[in-house]
Amino acid sequence: MITLKNIEKVYQTKTIETVALHNVNLHIPKGEFVSVMGPSGCGKSTLLNIMGLLDEPTNGIVEIDGTPISRYRDKELAHIRNQKIGFVFQSYHLINDLSVLDNVELPLLYRSGTSASESRHMALTALEKVGLSARTKHYPTQLSGGQRQRVAIARALIGQPEIILADEPTGNLDSVMGEEIMNVLLTLNRQDGTTIVMVTHDENMAQKTERLIRFFDGQQVSDAKTTAYDYQQV
Amino acid sequence: MIRHLFKLIWNRKKSNFLLISEIFFCFLVLFAVLSLVVYNVRNYSKPLGFDYDNVWLLTARADIDSTELRIAVEEQLTQKIRSYGEVEGTALVSSNSPFAFSQMKVWAKVGDGPRILAENLDVEDTFAEVMQLNVSAGRWFTKQDDAARYNPVVINRVLQQELFGDESAIGKLITRDDSSQVQVIGVVDHYRGSSEYAEESPVIFTRINQQREAVFWGEILIRVKPGTGIAFEERMVKDLSGIAKNWTLELTTVEKMRQNKEKLSMVPMIAMAVVCGFLIFNVALGLFGVLWYNISRRNGEIGLRRALGASANQVYRQFIGEVLVLATFGLVLGVAFAIQFPMLQVFEVESMVYFIALGIAVGLIYLLAIGCAFYPSRQAAAIHPAMALHEE
Repeated sequence: MITLKNIEKVYQTKTIETVALHNVNLHIPKGEFVSVMGPSGCGKSTLLNIMGLLDEPTNGIVEIDGTPISRYRDKELAHIRNQKIGFVFQSYHLINDLSVLDNVELPLLYRSGTSASESRHMALTALEKVGLSARTKHYPTQLSGGQRQRVAIARALIGQPEIILADEPTGNLDSVMGEEIMNVLLTLNRQDGTTIVMVTHDENMAQKTERLIRFFDGQQVSDAKTTAYDYQQV
Repeated sequence: MIRHLFKLIWNRKKSNFLLISEIFFCFLVLFAVLSLVVYNVRNYSKPLGFDYDNVWLLTARADIDSTELRIAVEEQLTQKIRSYGEVEGTALVSSNSPFAFSQMKVWAKVGDGPRILAENLDVEDTFAEVMQLNVSAGRWFTKQDDAARYNPVVINRVLQQELFGDESAIGKLITRDDSSQVQVIGVVDHYRGSSEYAEESPVIFTRINQQREAVFWGEILIRVKPGTGIAFEERMVKDLSGIAKNWTLELTTVEKMRQNKEKLSMVPMIAMAVVCGFLIFNVALGLFGVLWYNISRRNGEIGLRRALGASANQVYRQFIGEVLVLATFGLVLGVAFAIQFPMLQVFEVESMVYFIALGIAVGLIYLLAIGCAFYPSRQAAAIHPAMALHEE
């Protein structure tokens, strides 16, 4: 599904050169739920941005379904993001001037051939999946943190992406809400076979995923199956 | 996408209110200026109905009381002028000669029909030849009119339409405001003697008949041969001053009179255009500033849209689209107001003038909006999605 080969990312200013990622090699197969952990500034978000085609590595190759993405231009990368990837962010990134339903429909705006009624139907289905079908006409400011994150998840999954990249999805939530969101993600992974890569600081959440990759100072320091992952439910 | 943009702008109507108002007022001023410009340009492009090239106007002012003596001197002046080889013809005319700063209005009506206000020009038989008027129906004045029962008049097509509609006016009687009746003997297609930028209004040419009523006119139009220059002008004025001693003689070209009238029409247009230019400049600055600020405030949203599958080009088009939608909100209000002008026939200006001005003003506002949005939108499209999301 996603393969990273010898990835290096260097941020350069006039005076300082910062190595965000160094020699990262990863393969994430279809249907896997992977968590990425590490201290702040270790390159987790940079890794997620590179996987999500939002950023380019300084060196190395990123492959999506076996095709190196360096071949693609901006328009094609945008198309892949729209068709294959869903994003969930720690700060939700909802547009406050749009209703819940309109926020969820956003990815379909950039997908040709979807009619307005079709979009509406898909958005309602996605909201139903995250248990928010009663809040379609609300605005983000009228929702709790957990509800906002569920809207963000509905938005990520409306286009039926193969991969969901979640950057600290429970980071702004209390433990109960965090648990709720985690359950939504686990259900998506188990029922729909969606590949999920989740950056987290929470060891408990990470242990619930199938595989845990640890980063330190831009380098991958461990990559192992978790012990707590409930394989029975897969 | 269009529905999405309308929804977005509508939901942000409070924060966009000032911008929409600015566009609305800018449109109204632009509409006013353009209406004036279109009105003038349309009039300018219509035929004048006469040829003013190589035509001079001699104005004679006498400091004697005797009308008979004044008429006698005027006759001598006319004969002297006609005697020059450089002169092709002369015609006595009332003080409201072509491009003069004076008017002479009369009310005209037919039977019990409506009264029409028309410009009355008293002219000699040679006027049509001197000004090269084109009589399209009937005939111009001739000597045979000396014995006519009614004073003969020639009218322009506008007055014919207003008094007689599509019927022929030839031979018909018109009652003037002094209750005297005159008979129409000819119709000229056009005559716009007040200004090149003025709309054609009803005109009556009344024949000067010195035998019936001796009047001192003091204005003589002179058609000279092409190429006749200042040397002849000086010679003629000198000769004429010898005939009309102690008289004030002023010789000018009708072309100069036309230029003076042109200046008078251009001044308000230029003044309004300058005011409008400043306003547009301010609106442009405002639009540019607000868009720039909005875009820097919406970095997170731009990053999000890129993450959800928008290409840089789509982000660019979205911001241009948003400004066009904003402009549309302002324009809908503006057009609703401006459309009242042609509907209510304000200032009695042809509706088409307002419609043309409206169309151009709408086009210009959209162009202004796109122009102001161009650079900020390009900046928005160039924002790196990962950085934008990180900043948020």
